This record gives sequence, C-alpha cells and structure tokens, in this order.
Amino acid sequence: MRLFADRHPTDGTLRRLVDEPAGVADADRAHVAGCDVCLAGLARARADADAVGAALSPAALTLAGTTGAAGTDAAWHRLSAAVAAQARPALVPAPAPARASRWRGALRSPVVAAMGVVVVLGGAGAAAAADWLQVFRTEEVAAVPVSTTDLVGLPDLTAYGDVTFVSEPDVREVADAAAAEDATGLEAPEVAELPTGVTGEPAWTVGGRAVAEFTFSADRAAQAAAAAGETLPPPPAGLDGATFRLEAGPGVAAVWSEARGVPALVVGRVTAPVAYSSGVPFETARDYLLGLPGLPDELAAQLRTFTGDGTTLPLPVPAELATVSTADVDGTEATVLATRDGTLHGVVWVEDGVVTGVAGSLSEDEVLAVARDLG
Amino acid sequence: MAGAPGAVRADLEQVFRTGYPAVVSVAARVLGSRDEAEDVAQEVFLSFARSAVPAAEAPGWLAVAAAHTALNHLRSGRRRAAREEAAADGPLSAPDVADTVVSREESGRVRAALARLPRKQAVALVLRHSGLSYADVAAALGLSPGSVGTTVRRAESALREELTSHAPVR
Repeated sequence: MRLFADRHPTDGTLRRLVDEPAGVADADRAHVAGCDVCLAGLARARADADAVGAALSPAALTLAGTTGAAGTDAAWHRLSAAVAAQARPALVPAPAPARASRWRGALRSPVVAAMGVVVVLGGAGAAAAADWLQVFRTEEVAAVPVSTTDLVGLPDLTAYGDVTFVSEPDVREVADAAAAEDATGLEAPEVAELPTGVTGEPAWTVGGRAVAEFTFSADRAAQAAAAAGETLPPPPAGLDGATFRLEAGPGVAAVWSEARGVPALVVGRVTAPVAYSSGVPFETARDYLLGLPGLPDELAAQLRTFTGDGTTLPLPVPAELATVSTADVDGTEATVLATRDGTLHGVVWVEDGVVTGVAGSLSEDEVLAVARDLG
Repeated sequence: MAGAPGAVRADLEQVFRTGYPAVVSVAARVLGSRDEAEDVAQEVFLSFARSAVPAAEAPGWLAVAAAHTALNHLRSGRRRAAREEAAADGPLSAPDVADTVVSREESGRVRAALARLPRKQAVALVLRHSGLSYADVAAALGLSPGSVGTTVRRAESALREELTSHAPVR
C-alpha cells in the first residue's frame, strides 16, 4: 500500500478531512500534510464549512419554542390529534368511504389474480436496500378497472426516463416444495385438499429478486409529451434526475395443469414489491407521474385515490373481462377476481409483506376454500 | 392485516419520541426557525405514521424527509407570517458567540441560496451539518461515501460566496 498519494486529493476528500478525517485514506492524509496547495485548499474548505455551519445553525437564530421533554410531549399530542383526525374515516374497514366503494364495486378478474402473481414473480423483491429510502411497501392488493385500450395506452416509463434492470429474477423450475423453499426462503404454499378435478403433483417454479431502477428525465418526458401533442406539466423540484428503485421477489408458484394445457390451479406466493426513492418524496413523484400526458384522467384519479397511503399494489384489470369483489381469508381482506363468463376465479391478498394468490378454472368457493386452507 | 388503508403504525409514538428532536433540528437548519421546523416535523411524522418504513431505517428516512419537506417550504414560500413579524422585533436575543451569530439578513440570504441549490446538494449539506456521518448521508441519498464530500463542498462553496459577496464590514 502506498503511504503517500501522488496526486492531489479531490476537493471532496479535503472537505472530509475537515470533519471526518478518519474516513480519508492514509495516503491522502500524508499527501495533504506535505503539500502547500492541498493545505491551502483544506484551509478554504474549513473556512467555508465553518461559515456555512454558523449560518445554518439554529442556535444563531430564533429559538423561541419549547425544547426538551415538555416540547416533545406537546408535539406528540399535536401529532396524535392530527393522526386521529386523518385516520378516523380510513380505519372503518368494510363499508369503505363512498369514494373507495365507487371503484371497488366496479373491479377485477381471476385471470388477473394469476397474472398479478406472475407479474410480481417476474417483477421484483423486498430485502431492504440500506442505501435507499423506502417509500412504498405493498400491504394491500387492489385492482383498478381499466379497459384494454387503457392498458395499452398506459405510459411506458421508458418514454420518461431510463429504466435499468439491476437484477433479473432468474425464474426456473425446481423439483418440489422443499427445493422451492430452499431457493426462495419463502414458505411454499401447500394445498391441504385439492379441489375436485385437480389431481397430481404441481410443477414448482421459483424466481429470485428482481430489481429495476427508473430515473426520471424531464427532457425525455417533454419529448414524449410533445410527440403526443401535449405539453409536459412542469416537474416538481428535484424530480428531474431522481431515481426510484423497485424491488420484487423472491417468489414461488405451484401449477397444476389440465390436459387442455390451461392451468387448473395456480398457487403463488411472493415477497411484496417495494419501491425506494433516492430523495424525492414518493407522494410528489406519484402525483406528478400520474398526471403525465397519456394516462387517462379517470384512471389517474383512481390511482391517486387509492394509493393515497402508499401501501397498495394496484392490479390493472380489464374491465370488460373481469369483475372484482372482496372476501375474507383468515382475517385478511382479499381481492376476488372473476372472469365475466365465470369460468376462472382468483383471489389475492397480502399479509406481512407477502403477496399470496390462488387462481384457476374453479368456482369462487373453490379458490377461497384452497386459499383458506393453505399451509 | 398490517397494512389496512389508513392504519397507523404501532411504533409511532416510540419512533416519534426518539426522533422528534433530530427532525426539528434538520428542519431548523433549513428554515432558520424553530417554530416553522416544528410544523415541518408534524408533516414528516404524519407521513411516517402511514408508512411501512422499518423502524430500523426510520432515522435516515426521517432526516431525509425533514430536509426535503423543509426545502419544499422554503421554495414554495409557505413561510408563516410569524417569521416576518419576528424579524421586525429587532436584534437577535439568541446565544451570542460573536462568530456564530448571523444577522437575519444573512440568514435570509443563506436560505435563499439554499433554496436555489440543486436538491441533492442542499439535502447533503443540511444532513451533514445536522450531524449525520458521511456514510449515513451517502446511504440516505444513494451517493457513494466518496462523493458526499464533493457534494457538500460544492454546496458550501456556493453558500459561502453568497455570504461573503454581501458581507457587511465588521
């Protein structure tokens, strides 16, 4: 190891020497100690840091207001009141507020349950990335009614910035439930009693964690808007260049096939997707992205309403193909999806950060029975 | 189920009591006013109450949220009239180590300059001056620890320029 750096350390290194010298490499420290240029740079960095520190110091400004435990107590009471005022309508579970019930009554499909699970399987995971600010963690699944036209018309995020896949999920088949558990760390969903007509052993599929990063670009978004004959609304401060990281998986699915090739029963379990922000508050980004040209106004409004607490995973559901209702699965509210012809049903719910879905060419009662007895 | 819409996290009070002073401190560095910082802290904890941020990650999340929310206040001009009234009260009665006392005018200039900085620079600067380590700032902002110094240095250089270009002769 060299004890003396040949080149002048960067301004950033000099800055760190001011207040965290232990974080600077020995070779850089040795260089600075014997280099007049760097010593002068260090002195400037120290002077600037001191001046700015003093200017920013609240002690130099009005300190009116209560400090200490009494101040914290008073602030806690204020917060408690605000939280209670906000929470009151939202905490009523079943008879949802009028706004929610309007769309909730209009929703979902069983195809989508399976699709949702598959999407999440192929999508991303939840191990907390320590260097990312977590802004969103799925705790509830809800579907949004859209027509297939709307689905096609949903804005492709690549038009609004860079999408990078950091980690692919590597979806593959494994031999059995034990292998699936080994591969994913998730408890493999075991079906206690197969519905009538479903027989044999399932094929087990697992996927690892998938990670994608989306960096918003105001220039790109403006171009996309112009191409659509629209004007891009001005992005909120800080959004341009802000990066969001989406993680999903790992996940596991068990599929019982029918002779026709259509899955008779699919049971999937995946770690709920989580989104992280590198800075810009999630609400800011969400509200802006939802308002971008190309997203139907009605759908945008629904999304905004229903991701209001930032904990819902919306599953777009083709309204003409499916219907949606809710049911109770062992104390958890689940989303039930049904194709309009009634041949396929599915149910999806989220518990403790894990999304579980059951779907198949079965009746609603059958999928719910499987869901409620899952091991 | 843990995440019913509108549910308030169970550990809120504990996280609040532990983290409140730090959140106020970060916001006060941005705003230069404790009253306003307390308003910001309320907003930050209201967001936190509805979030599923793991408790272990709460300190970093709260610090970043405090900086952003306070900077939003600065930029949007949502500053309470009380601040202007306070400014009319005359000289500061604050602790007065001569070198650290800044005039209200200087404070106003610093805050205006802070609001004009690129957001990442502003947040990094405020977090570092609030006592977060380089590693903490890097983690909170998705920067490499090595680039935190550079980011903070640029911010300080810009702010210092703002201060010295208008500095009264003492």
